Amino acid sequence: MMERDREERVDLAQISFRTLELSDVDDVLVWTSDEKVAKFCSWEPYSSKDQGIDFIQNRASEFLWGKAICLNDRPIGFISLTSCSATDKSREKSAELGYVLGSKYWSKGIMSYVVKQVMKVAFSEFPHLDRLEALVDVENVGSQKVLEKAGFQREGVLRKYLVLKGKSRDMVIFSVLSTDL
Amino acid sequence: MSLNLDLSKVSLRPFKLTDVDDFLLWAGDDRVTQNLRWKTCGSMEEALAFIRDVCIPHPWRRSICLHDRSIGFVSVYPWSGDDRCKADIGYAVAADYWGHGVATKAVKMAVPQVFKDLPHLMRLQAFTSPENKASQRVLEKAGFLKEGVLRKYTYIKGNIKDSVVFSFLSTDEFPHDD
Repeated sequence: MMERDREERVDLAQISFRTLELSDVDDVLVWTSDEKVAKFCSWEPYSSKDQGIDFIQNRASEFLWGKAICLNDRPIGFISLTSCSATDKSREKSAELGYVLGSKYWSKGIMSYVVKQVMKVAFSEFPHLDRLEALVDVENVGSQKVLEKAGFQREGVLRKYLVLKGKSRDMVIFSVLSTDL
Repeated sequence: MSLNLDLSKVSLRPFKLTDVDDFLLWAGDDRVTQNLRWKTCGSMEEALAFIRDVCIPHPWRRSICLHDRSIGFVSVYPWSGDDRCKADIGYAVAADYWGHGVATKAVKMAVPQVFKDLPHLMRLQAFTSPENKASQRVLEKAGFLKEGVLRKYTYIKGNIKDSVVFSFLSTDEFPHDD
């Protein structure tokens, strides 16, 4: 029975995006409490329902665009766009992509499929955008592969670009332009 | 223009209001400001206001001086909060003094001082236009590492630009003087 679970194929047609509701909190806690998922994120794994509620009520709406990644309408992850003008007013035509997916769903091609869809949504819903970028830890090879498969271009490694969980990290920077699609 | 420029007479110091005349010579020159976010200064009043309201209160801005007369600037702008591990460096030199190693000398002098003055700093980064080969050479000679080209990264004066990104880390070695 366990083996069949692991080989379970996901029908990508059952993937959709929607806003998170409070009723999704238990599903949100599945990926936010997972230390494999949190490893390259700025946050520590969640340990309480309150943190899940706080994410849904407060954090999820802070993005330029932020949606739950759903499988058969049940959230299995989250994907967001953040305007780069937050840190630099001359960068309002760029947005940074961020995403997270429950580890049970890794390595099935789901995330690169999702990123491809969101690329199209981003440039059509925000026609002023020229550039989407993503920063990935040099050690997070899985996430780098997601972006390459989705059509992002690797531009270089920014050394000691961020401090995450007290350590400075080298980050690979990727981009896709509206003119690339 | 042939100059016998003595690079040992190049120094860095904070801006003073009395720099205004010299400041206007280069900050009022489109050739100097074309790659900067700075608006070209159009008058003495604008230059004075800019020195007083921007240059002097700036977290880290120095006049590049030749015999203590201002011929350019070096600026370092640290990011805040969790991002204070990084800072952006920018610079410009009066057009008459281009091609004599002034900017390279100024950046080489600034870098060790900046890491002393900004204790949380781990990464100094610079962004140049791909066409601005002279500026890229300044950074290379000053020991910065070119990390890549960021496509359609930023807008300068209404134009979308690619940016070549360079960095110098607190752990990097300073280049030997040639």
